Amino acid sequence: MSDEHDDELRARLRAVDPAASLAPADPSRVARLLEDTMSNDLMTETRETGTHGRSPLTWLVAAAAAVIIAAVGAFGVLRHDAGSDQPPSAARDQTPTVTELTGPSGGVDAKCMVPSAAVLGQATLAFDGTVQKITDGVVTLVPSHVYAGPATDVVTITAAPEAMQQLVGAVKFEDNGRYLISSTNGQVSVCGFSGPYTADLAALYDEAFAS
Amino acid sequence: MDAETRRDRFEAVAPGLIEPLRRFLARRTDAATADDVLGDTLLVCWRRLDELPDEPLPWAYGVARHCLANADRGARRQQRVAARVATVDPPAATAPGPGEADGGPDTGLDEALARLRPDDAELLRLWAWEQLTPAEIATVLDITANAASIRLHRAREKLRAELRKTSGVAGHEGSREGRTS
Repeated sequence: MSDEHDDELRARLRAVDPAASLAPADPSRVARLLEDTMSNDLMTETRETGTHGRSPLTWLVAAAAAVIIAAVGAFGVLRHDAGSDQPPSAARDQTPTVTELTGPSGGVDAKCMVPSAAVLGQATLAFDGTVQKITDGVVTLVPSHVYAGPATDVVTITAAPEAMQQLVGAVKFEDNGRYLISSTNGQVSVCGFSGPYTADLAALYDEAFAS
Repeated sequence: MDAETRRDRFEAVAPGLIEPLRRFLARRTDAATADDVLGDTLLVCWRRLDELPDEPLPWAYGVARHCLANADRGARRQQRVAARVATVDPPAATAPGPGEADGGPDTGLDEALARLRPDDAELLRLWAWEQLTPAEIATVLDITANAASIRLHRAREKLRAELRKTSGVAGHEGSREGRTS
């Protein structure tokens, strides 16, 4: 076939280009997208830079989380030893495992990156759960599916009153609401990484934690 | 490359990639997925900045293709849920598919393109919509330039053959060559 025929075919294809009517991207959005992208440097993150700037509270929470995990583990081991005395399920029912998280540190108006599976996949805990109760400063959720992290019966999220306002503003917890929550080092991730259950967010979680 | 040099290089290269990548993705998926995948693609470009060739766009299209395939795999897992949500709360708008763009549908072409093998249709899209040369298509698809050239030639032939089949029904310019009586 000649070039002329190719040109004709290309022109006909171009006439049905679905992106032909796409408006150029807003420059401020482009600038934000670039900045968000460059704020990610997980591949070259060293231990030193990766932990730089975290507040003492983060370390406290991480330490508390480690204690809880150790305690849960020890409980499991001890319970296993005492297993001959009573059925394991009964013991489990009496003492549900609780995973404690805290609200985000810093304002939720801090710069957010575009939620992506690659970043979400770094979360240490991620689950699909329903709010059981909200009392002052504590949201209690019952996970129905744990994507990442240790299995747990209940997850509590605590935050200082003023931070709770921000957390509620960021995630809008409601009684009996279904949520997808992810956290890193005991802190709930906001900025679109946690939120009310939607098919889109669930797809992101599926992708992030697909094995 | 130190952090400052990295930033400078990315800031020099990335703005030129965003617009073509947006279009590339808008042609292949819905608006929300396109947005997500654009972010993922840029992230990969940022992380693999050292591998970025001097002519980065075809390479970036290749990255976007992989990111889109990942997103599609995730989406398929959620299809059942999404279908249920869609019936309860249908989305306000969907991205136009091929043939639904402004200027009137060319259903003959749309159907002919749909009947091609996905690989052939993708070659033609890269050629006509992204306006890539066979060598650039080769970079996107990670094949040799020679293979890209041969496959593109065959894909065009197949599309013409498909257009001839339907031209009697729906083609406009194709009707000229398809008329038998």
